Amino acid sequence: MRKGFAAALVFALAVPMMRGVSQLPRPGAPDGPVHTHVSAAYIDGGAAVGGAENLVTAVLLNYRALDTLGEVLVIFCAWLAVIAAMVPAAGEREREGSVPVSPVVAYVLRILAPFIGAFGVFVIVNGHVLPGGGFQGGVVLGALVILLAVALGPGRVARALPTNAWSLLRASGVLVFAGVGLAGAGLSGHLFGLSEQPILREWLMILLEVAIGTAAAAVLAGLFLAMIGSDSP
Amino acid sequence: MTEVAAWLSHVDYQVAVILFLVGLYILLSSQNLIKKVIGLNVMETAVFAFIVTSGMVDRHAPPLVNDTVAPLASPLPHALVLTGIVVAISVTALALILIVRVKAECGSIELDEIGELDEIRDASESGESAR
Repeated sequence: MRKGFAAALVFALAVPMMRGVSQLPRPGAPDGPVHTHVSAAYIDGGAAVGGAENLVTAVLLNYRALDTLGEVLVIFCAWLAVIAAMVPAAGEREREGSVPVSPVVAYVLRILAPFIGAFGVFVIVNGHVLPGGGFQGGVVLGALVILLAVALGPGRVARALPTNAWSLLRASGVLVFAGVGLAGAGLSGHLFGLSEQPILREWLMILLEVAIGTAAAAVLAGLFLAMIGSDSP
Repeated sequence: MTEVAAWLSHVDYQVAVILFLVGLYILLSSQNLIKKVIGLNVMETAVFAFIVTSGMVDRHAPPLVNDTVAPLASPLPHALVLTGIVVAISVTALALILIVRVKAECGSIELDEIGELDEIRDASESGESAR
């Protein structure tokens, strides 16, 4: 009954949605509205004005920096909410029912871990010239921490850093981003006004990317550790 | 005939629509809360695929300013989808921890079983107040 109703609704939606997207400009058409208005200006002047050869990073850290601050705040708040809603007794049943990881998996992971970490850092610090950036590299690093937590045991990973250090890392994205934004307001007269000097601006961008990356990695790892109940908030 | 041609020339978008509808069906038809979250994630993925697809351009290069002469893909959809992905992760994390909480409080993550529990509780409470 429920499934039939759901299927009927889905099919009733399928017709107008498919006809609707058929009438949009063809995907890839160079004269589509996606390519002619704001994007055209970004492509023409984005590298010079935004200060990053990777235009996506220029949009994220310069044109729409306030959006990105909101983004960093959203994942930080998600972690806070997860900690607040966490089942209090979860920590007690940490060991119970955990399946040991196969030695093959643990050994391969031990070999791969430095390379995964190096790739994550590479993606973060080259975010302004190559595809990638803070969030992308941060997710790679966060996945690495989660893998290590699965292979070595979550308790060991959670205890690798003091609880305060974990919290500070998670907040680092918001703190550094807001700090750079306010410093820009003081120095250049407008919020998130990165420096006019190309070299200083490049290093500010790398600083922002590193802050976003560490925050994303620490929050992702923190979410995982909180879900399996071995985080000690 | 022109309808079919229009459908085929927009096949990139149609795939995203189909994925969206698959996610919607999972969301509506399953009673399991985890499966509902999976359905929501499939829908989100479809929307992201749709927006990123709209940013591509024929014979395109990625939006990196260097020596390439090919037309650059639009950077704006990429940046917006990145924001969207972060929000989607946050929503998923929040939903999952709430499901963990529901499991701890109600002992089940199946909606129909939770509904039965509620009915039993209501019945016992009204019975007590009648006495």
